[in-house]
Amino acid sequence: MSNLLILPIILPMLVGTILIFFAKNHSLQRVIAGITAVLLLILAFYLAHEVYYHPQQTMILELGNWSPPFGIVLVADMFATLMVILSSIVGMLCLFFAFKTIETERAKHYFYPFYFFLLTGVNGAFLTGDLFNLFVFFEVMLLSSYVLIVNGGTNYQLRESFKYVVINMIASAFFLVGLAYIYAVTGTLNMADLAEKVGVLEQQGVLNVIAIVFLFVFGAKGALFPLYFWLPNSYYGPPAAVSALFGGLLTKVGIYAIIRTFTLIFTHNTGFTHDIILALAGLTMFFGVLGAVSQFDFKRILSYHIISQVGYMVMGLGIYTQLALAGAIYYIAHHIIVKAALFLFAGATEKITGETSLYKMGGLLRSHPLLGWLFFISAMSLAGIPPLSGFFSKFALILSGIQEERYVIVVVSLLVGLLTLFSMMKIFMYAFWGEQKIPTEKVDKKETMGLLKPIIPLVILTIALGLSAEPIFQFSLGVADQIMDPSNYIDSVLNQD
Amino acid sequence: MFEAALIVALIIMSVSVFLCFIRVVIGPSVSDRVVALDLIGIHLIGIVGMLMILHESLYYVEVVLVLGILAFIGTIALSKFIEGGVVIDRDHR
Amino acid sequence: MKNNVSLQTVTRLTVFIVLAFSIYLLLAGHHAPGGGFIGGLMAASAIVLLYLSFGMKKISKVFTISYPYLIAVGLLLAMGTGFIGVLVGDPFLTQYYDYFYIPFLGTVELTTALIFDIGVYFVVVGVALFSILTIAEDDA
Repeated sequence: MSNLLILPIILPMLVGTILIFFAKNHSLQRVIAGITAVLLLILAFYLAHEVYYHPQQTMILELGNWSPPFGIVLVADMFATLMVILSSIVGMLCLFFAFKTIETERAKHYFYPFYFFLLTGVNGAFLTGDLFNLFVFFEVMLLSSYVLIVNGGTNYQLRESFKYVVINMIASAFFLVGLAYIYAVTGTLNMADLAEKVGVLEQQGVLNVIAIVFLFVFGAKGALFPLYFWLPNSYYGPPAAVSALFGGLLTKVGIYAIIRTFTLIFTHNTGFTHDIILALAGLTMFFGVLGAVSQFDFKRILSYHIISQVGYMVMGLGIYTQLALAGAIYYIAHHIIVKAALFLFAGATEKITGETSLYKMGGLLRSHPLLGWLFFISAMSLAGIPPLSGFFSKFALILSGIQEERYVIVVVSLLVGLLTLFSMMKIFMYAFWGEQKIPTEKVDKKETMGLLKPIIPLVILTIALGLSAEPIFQFSLGVADQIMDPSNYIDSVLNQD
Repeated sequence: MFEAALIVALIIMSVSVFLCFIRVVIGPSVSDRVVALDLIGIHLIGIVGMLMILHESLYYVEVVLVLGILAFIGTIALSKFIEGGVVIDRDHR
Repeated sequence: MKNNVSLQTVTRLTVFIVLAFSIYLLLAGHHAPGGGFIGGLMAASAIVLLYLSFGMKKISKVFTISYPYLIAVGLLLAMGTGFIGVLVGDPFLTQYYDYFYIPFLGTVELTTALIFDIGVYFVVVGVALFSILTIAEDDA
């Protein structure tokens, strides 16, 4: 029992509520929001430290003093705390970018409160140990994301966010259906208890159906193969700070939920479920990258890349060995950071040139060299060029694929890596290389520096993740080891002393 | 015997709700639809009341009251809409 | 505008009944059907009834509170009860109850969950009215 676990959830919620009172005062909102974001990051690191040195490396909190499986528990194992750290890092830096780019008009319409409610939902979804509570936190997150995605109310945003809302509503309805099914079969919604009971029932018949329902739900939220069509258009509309946060975090919550449920609960029929996941992973990464190759818009290319890279994370789960899961976890960390950075770059270039179409940009490297080269580093990291973080995570995934003799997925992922490199180079060639299309006298060095400040830490992080691959990979292996063996999770929730 | 009568009444009420629903769908004018919707609300109150007798429980009293209030306000809002096209007046006299 | 005398007369009476009912639902909610959510919904419908029969301008003069602030206050109340447990050293959201003697009412069970419910009540009233009035401002 430690109340520390509730803090990453309740702190953003509390501050978001307080910010409602100051909705009209933009500068005060910024001060409070900034301080909170830093606090949240410190808190996340402290929580991770506590969990890491805990004897079982898993901490739980029984909300309302109701013991599991009757009450709701929060469970912080190493995977969850790692995700909380990542969400806090991205949340903080995107917030700092939002300070520079969000207009007062948007801030007046409750931008900052809902930003923090979103973080509440994300952190809650990572930390909860109850399937229904996961649904609730998904809804908290999605409701805030609906507000953030229409905030500003341009015609494009209203049109595309409608699709976003509809697809998420349908997925949530199916989530509820799945919860009803699994409650009818097992009589519990506590994840640890479910893991035990599904193990006793040996996951046959209807439990496989339920597993697929959950895969569908989380796949729709995490943009897996047949259900990714909503993503590129809806992430295109909102301001860059929001699309960076969405692109970095939101789909990863769906992926986290997939990994959590399919390493903890539905683990007894891997020949069926995990093979489907692997096939979906291959299709997702392939079609996502094809979309990216065919686009000529900065933000849209990045959105399609989210889809293709979701494939890599799920591929780690599909192969289902310790090495593969470690690779997937490393890849999630790498992806959240790099993708947020790239979206922020898109926002910065949009702010500088006023365009997102690659045809209308050009020669930014001459007028903004720092921006250009930092973008180059992140793009190379995304494409998986050593010694940056993308390389080592993909290497682990592909190595495990070869070990398990899953050659098709290995070939697909290598091909996708190549196409990723191609489309990243396309952005670099069109937007930064070539002849200058905006007049030099419009260049404002100070403004550019202000825009770059929140991005530089992300770029440094991706370099650091790559250079210190050895310790970080050891850590990922530890995390993977923990989630590959659900008995630790079950014991610390149900059989505590 | 009493129970059987209740069940028969419930069935008749359900059929009646269905008929009202048909009126809501086809109803040539808006006022037909509003009246039919109000009727559905009142039928629901009756159905819940009979369920209360059937289950010998008082727990549904609140449901009856809530349904009554909501049906009342809904009908008023709809009638105001038919009358003037504006549900909540900006300024009133 | 048209003449709404009968509606206004009925409203003057029913609003108090509905508001009393909403308070009843709020207080009954601990062991019986009811609670902050449905109570708040009833209060909101009473106020909507006022808006319907007397119009925006007149009622806005009476209710000068801003609904977003009401939502925020409700959320803070609800979250605040969670922290009572933290202060004592129990897990977040732990609820406490005791029996008190109150004149005219006799011995009553009072819980911290009631404060949580009052928070929910405020949030629901705020959200319902805020969204209804936002939509109402849009037509015409």
